[in-house]
Amino acid sequence: MKNIIVCVKVVPKTEDVSFDPVTKTLDRSKAENQINEADKNAIEYALVLKEKYGGNVILLSMGPMFFEPFLKIGIAMGADDAILLSDRAFAGADSYPTALTLASAIKKIGDFDLILCGEESSDAGLGQVPSQVAEFLDLPQALFVSSVEIEGNKIKARRSVKGGYEIVELPLPSVISIELGINQPRFPDFKRKRWADKEFKIKVWNMKDLGLNENIVGLRGSYTFVNRFIETEPPKRLRRYIEGSPEEQAEKLYEVIKEIIE
Amino acid sequence: MIDAWVYIEHDSGEIEDVSLEIVGRLNEIKASLPLRITGFSFGRDPGEIPRKAISQGVEHFIFLRNDLFSFYDTQSYVNGIEGIVRERRPDIILLGATYQGRDLAGRLAARLKTGLAANAITLNIDEKGLLYTGVPGYGGRFIAEIVNMKARPQISTVRQGIFRKLPQDNSRSGEVENIEVKFGDFSPRLRVVERVRKDVKDITKSERVVIIGNGAGNNLKPIEDFARLIGADIGVTRPVADRGLAPRDIQVGSTGVSLNSKLVIIFGSSGSNHFVSGIERCKNVISIDVDRNSNIFNYSDYCVVADMFTILPYLNRRFGGQ
Ligand SMILES: Cc1cc2nc3c(=O)[nH]c(=O)nc-3n(C[C@H](O)[C@H](O)[C@H](O)COP(=O)(O)OP(=O)(O)OC[C@H]3O[C@@H](n4cnc5c(N)ncnc54)[C@H](O)[C@@H]3O)c2cc1C
Ligand SMILES: Nc1ncnc2c1ncn2[C@@H]1O[C@H](COP(=O)(O)O)[C@@H](O)[C@H]1O
Repeated sequence: MKNIIVCVKVVPKTEDVSFDPVTKTLDRSKAENQINEADKNAIEYALVLKEKYGGNVILLSMGPMFFEPFLKIGIAMGADDAILLSDRAFAGADSYPTALTLASAIKKIGDFDLILCGEESSDAGLGQVPSQVAEFLDLPQALFVSSVEIEGNKIKARRSVKGGYEIVELPLPSVISIELGINQPRFPDFKRKRWADKEFKIKVWNMKDLGLNENIVGLRGSYTFVNRFIETEPPKRLRRYIEGSPEEQAEKLYEVIKEIIE
Repeated sequence: MIDAWVYIEHDSGEIEDVSLEIVGRLNEIKASLPLRITGFSFGRDPGEIPRKAISQGVEHFIFLRNDLFSFYDTQSYVNGIEGIVRERRPDIILLGATYQGRDLAGRLAARLKTGLAANAITLNIDEKGLLYTGVPGYGGRFIAEIVNMKARPQISTVRQGIFRKLPQDNSRSGEVENIEVKFGDFSPRLRVVERVRKDVKDITKSERVVIIGNGAGNNLKPIEDFARLIGADIGVTRPVADRGLAPRDIQVGSTGVSLNSKLVIIFGSSGSNHFVSGIERCKNVISIDVDRNSNIFNYSDYCVVADMFTILPYLNRRFGGQ
């Protein structure tokens, strides 16, 4: 097995993002960041595949320099290498230029057998990048995958479909998106973490390194724009507490349910 | 005339509800805009698909025929539709945000060099044919209204269970085109080896839903009994589906389905944003959680601070169980 490339994004924690009703913009400044959860599942899965079939696990991310320590967490989990695509011109990208930028970097890496993504990112949550990376690389794809087996130069992947799953066969290399929650990502290894923090150097590639230009990356390369943000009003709920002993609670609950149903 | 196309997704002739829900929404918009609604599907044999779609509000149907379309391979489908989209230049293409719709939409948008909005929960079109899609972000706490002023077609996937389909009316008529797709030397690189699927209940339309949260552990029986006793369907939170205890299709929340029930009763959920966005449209919400501080109570009409396994036997007995 050659390299397994894992596309990793760093996202603010959902619960920490607030909405400014005056400016009508999102405030991410107080948010703690983390590796996108599905991407953690993808890293874990890549490491499992490496243990089984060999190869190197390379993390690939497009984002600002503050992503570096998060990629080092992935290194401490066991990934072999990490590349951060960072350039001012990349800012404001929607999924099209994001996928285009990632695909250019993947071509530059060149030597790979498998590309893993998470099923979707928890911030915008669009789940489009994997499909678009596959298109830009002209590779087959299987999305929402929960397991992969490699047999020679073919893979068998289990992908979710309505009401169940399909086992699909694809050639190597292919693009796979890993379903959120399919595994328990391992903890970073303590010693490896110390080594990663002190000595490991993340490769940083900019627009020029990828041979791209400012018209096709970032905001300018994007097709979709946010016209406005609307804060969703959670519906007003009664929030009435039903107290008492369990038996009394059950009795009151029975009355409430009866009344709603009838 | 604004030309809007809808992917009529089907499984062996059975049309996905979400495809018809999109058609329903477009018919509402059509009341005030010159809009032409075209449906398109892929397959071996159109069978009843065009007629069914037309009876539910599609005005024009394109059926793309090829033996390869009998199973879903992204590249076959994208290659199959690309030519006709380039030739006819629709303004808008909408797809259901199903597994297949999402898989297809991303690749199609990249192929056509255009933008894509995903998982829309609102759809509006202005006189110029500009599509405004409301896309939930951060687990549904905000809606970002997305527009694409740069390229055509404007593509979006649309969430299930948000819009209403039209009542079936067999007197509606429409034009049907059957197009034989020729592939040249393309052959699919993906092959479906095995398919395992069960019919799953579409809980987006259930009157009553009982939700099993992660707090239930592996002991689902008392909750299932309770659901049966009150005539409710079962839904689950993400971790319960993750652990393989229930199919993803009945998972509620931002990566699952949205409910529209009159009554939803939730056992053992902490009420994260990603989950509660799926119960927003329910009329009455009742929650049971041992933790008085569980966030689920902020989203509930009736809050019961209790161990579900203590309270369920009483409840089940009260509703006529043993
Ligand atoms: C991108 C993304 C998308 C997601 N999409 C979804 C989604 O669509 N749907 C979804 O549900 N989640 C989704 N999640 C996960 C979500 O963030 C939460 O992790 C999940 O909803 C938690 O499920 P829960 O409330 O059932 O479990 P927990 O958070 O584990 O809560 C369990 C609750 O049970 C209570 N409890 C424990 N024992 C008992 C008992 N004996 N009796 C009563 N109460 C008890 C506890 O007090 C606790 O409040 C998503 C996450 C991400 C990152
Ligand atoms: N900026 C990025 N850098 C690296 N990978 C990304 C980036 N954005 C998205 N991805 C990958 O694509 C997946 C789906 O993202 P999205 O389409 O944004 O929901 C993520 O889980 C990542 O694996």
